[in-house]
Amino acid sequence: MKARISTIVTILIFFFTVSVQAQTFEQPVLISSAGQSADVKLVKMLAQRQGLDATTILMAKPADLTGFKTLIIVPGFSSKGLGAAGISQQEEMERVQTLIKSANDLKIPIVMLHIGGNARRKGQSDAFNQIVAENSKAMVVVRQGDEDGFFTGISKAKNIPLTLVDKIAETATPLGNLFK
Amino acid sequence: MRKLTLYLILFLVLIVNTGVRGQSMSPTTGRNGMVATAHPLASAAAVEMLKSGGNAVDAAVAAAFTIGVVEPDGSGLGGGGGMVIYLKDQQKSIFINYYGRSSENASQVDFKSGRDSYTAKAIEVPGTVAGLLLAHEKFGSLPLKKIMEPAIKHAEDGFAIDQTLAKLILDNIDNIMSDSVTASVFLDDGFPRMEGETLVQKELARVLRGIAEKGRKGFYEGKQAEAFVEGIQARGGVLTLKDFSSYQAEITSPMKGTYRGYDVLTSNVPQSGISLVEGLNMLENFDLKASGHFSESARTLHIMAEVDKLIYADRYQYLGDPDFVTVPVKGLSSKEYALQRFNSINQSKLDPPRYRDAEYGDPGVYENNLTRETVREPEPAEGHTTHLSVIDKDGNAVALTQTLGLFFGSGQTVSGVLFNNAMTNFSYNVENVNYIQNSKRCRTSITPTIILKNGDPFLILGSPGASRIITTLIELVVNVIDFGMNVNEANLAPRFYCQKFEDYLHVESGIKPEVCEELEKMGHAIKIYKGIDLFFGGAQIIMVDPVTGEYSGSADKRRGGIAMGY
Repeated sequence: MKARISTIVTILIFFFTVSVQAQTFEQPVLISSAGQSADVKLVKMLAQRQGLDATTILMAKPADLTGFKTLIIVPGFSSKGLGAAGISQQEEMERVQTLIKSANDLKIPIVMLHIGGNARRKGQSDAFNQIVAENSKAMVVVRQGDEDGFFTGISKAKNIPLTLVDKIAETATPLGNLFK
Repeated sequence: MRKLTLYLILFLVLIVNTGVRGQSMSPTTGRNGMVATAHPLASAAAVEMLKSGGNAVDAAVAAAFTIGVVEPDGSGLGGGGGMVIYLKDQQKSIFINYYGRSSENASQVDFKSGRDSYTAKAIEVPGTVAGLLLAHEKFGSLPLKKIMEPAIKHAEDGFAIDQTLAKLILDNIDNIMSDSVTASVFLDDGFPRMEGETLVQKELARVLRGIAEKGRKGFYEGKQAEAFVEGIQARGGVLTLKDFSSYQAEITSPMKGTYRGYDVLTSNVPQSGISLVEGLNMLENFDLKASGHFSESARTLHIMAEVDKLIYADRYQYLGDPDFVTVPVKGLSSKEYALQRFNSINQSKLDPPRYRDAEYGDPGVYENNLTRETVREPEPAEGHTTHLSVIDKDGNAVALTQTLGLFFGSGQTVSGVLFNNAMTNFSYNVENVNYIQNSKRCRTSITPTIILKNGDPFLILGSPGASRIITTLIELVVNVIDFGMNVNEANLAPRFYCQKFEDYLHVESGIKPEVCEELEKMGHAIKIYKGIDLFFGGAQIIMVDPVTGEYSGSADKRRGGIAMGY
């Protein structure tokens, strides 16, 4: 039984990896938040670990996209983060929608990194998770955040490559691979 | 295997009573004891003490040590707090203030709140150990080693990180990363530990064992204290050995008030029970029940919000350490002053139009104290704390609130202990009554409270939530006393918050939309939080049925707590 599960998991990982490798993303990279959680700071660290040419702008606007070839968005709601930014949830959603639309118009591909697990699911986070996931060209997700199949469902429905990992630190390698 | 054992223990603990969180509006009930804390393992520790023959103080102290281990973001050995104790057979009430005190060298430090909030400069002398040991020594009955066993075990063996803690680690990553020792506890390979992972705190277990064996000497004196001072000073802090050795928790009477025939026992100055008493005194002048619950009546909510605004204006003006300033306690808590303040409220619109323009009153008229012409300043809004409520089979009760200041305190872990950043509670305006001075207690929002009916405990309650604590407590009291809610209904009811130093009236989405629309017409700027939100606190409430004597408990769904009774 264990061996069978292991085989299935390996096949799935292979499938997703192959799918992800189907599109290669280019640098320089703009990293931004959707929901103003602190997770974006961790993604910045992950990008640094992978030596990516990345700039982080928490509240990036369409004008900030100039010169970048990939947009990484880190979804996750944080009332503390919104408070620090001095904006409402609605204003943040409007910013994210505008940013995504501009990226699509400029043909700048979006990569979604969801690293917060359960802490960034449901509640006020899922509206941000959904819009970013549905507009991404690749998703890297810490498995705990997909226990209910939320991201897997979007991946299947929209044919978006999805890589699932167990821990935040493990997102570094698949993130790096997207740019190779 | 270890995780399996922990889950098994948790399951066994939960079946002590099936008052399941969230699914029902029926609270947890019991007749021999009741506990409500922010974490199942802390509630279990308290129940274990009660079942071992301990009293409410034993149970509260065991839960308080344990919660500092399993909810390390909110409180712990490096923090401070306050507790109200009611001994039913003696009909005696006690308040223990064990909040921190600034260093004897505090005024020499170039400390700026914000810039230095997550540094060793922000650390006050921690009072938790002194306060809990004092309560145990004076009013407890079980051996200290027995009481500290659960805390030591969970620190030594570890426990499963719950969703609340996992989220808080993520949300406060900057603070945690500000100290490599703190980071080594909460991070794995440089990234946050997640829900379900085991958090082990071996160094903390060692310190807890030292306290269990040596009492306060195991923390405030000797090699342990030297290690604290050396580590804090190496990080730029100024606490001295004398600061540690001279720290004493204080036993006083609680702040006392009444509300619609009930007696209110709450934290004394410079903690914020006086603001609760003042607010309830004002609301006594209004028929809340006839006006309707604030989730359904814009008029009720407007008036309660205006009351909140006024008590905060007074609080910023007058509340400070009574060893340093004259606090007009008699005036602030008088019914006559409350009536005068209530009569100043415009009941049909926001007046003045900005919350920040709310004026403080003159309570000195009601006690012949001179008032001071000073400038007010807000407190940090992100304060994080924890509250627990306990009652034993004999009706003795404890309401206990403790804190590290902000989430994860200063972020500085020294010799296994995560230290507070309570210095952020001081004002840095020399004219303010809460201005920082050497060896001074800061003003704090914590408000542990016991409410009596005919001399018997009726409600035991409190909440974390920084400046929201006071408004949350007022709303809870109103929910139960004016609107007859049970403790779960009261706890789950939507909340709101505003005060002098706010630009918005913050409301949970359970407040009806038409109420919000009406409030906007009255001049309020509304900020809505979907569902229920940790922003509004995490109250732990116990109620005693005055007729049957049955206990009912409720832990706030806004936080990962649980009430247990038997």
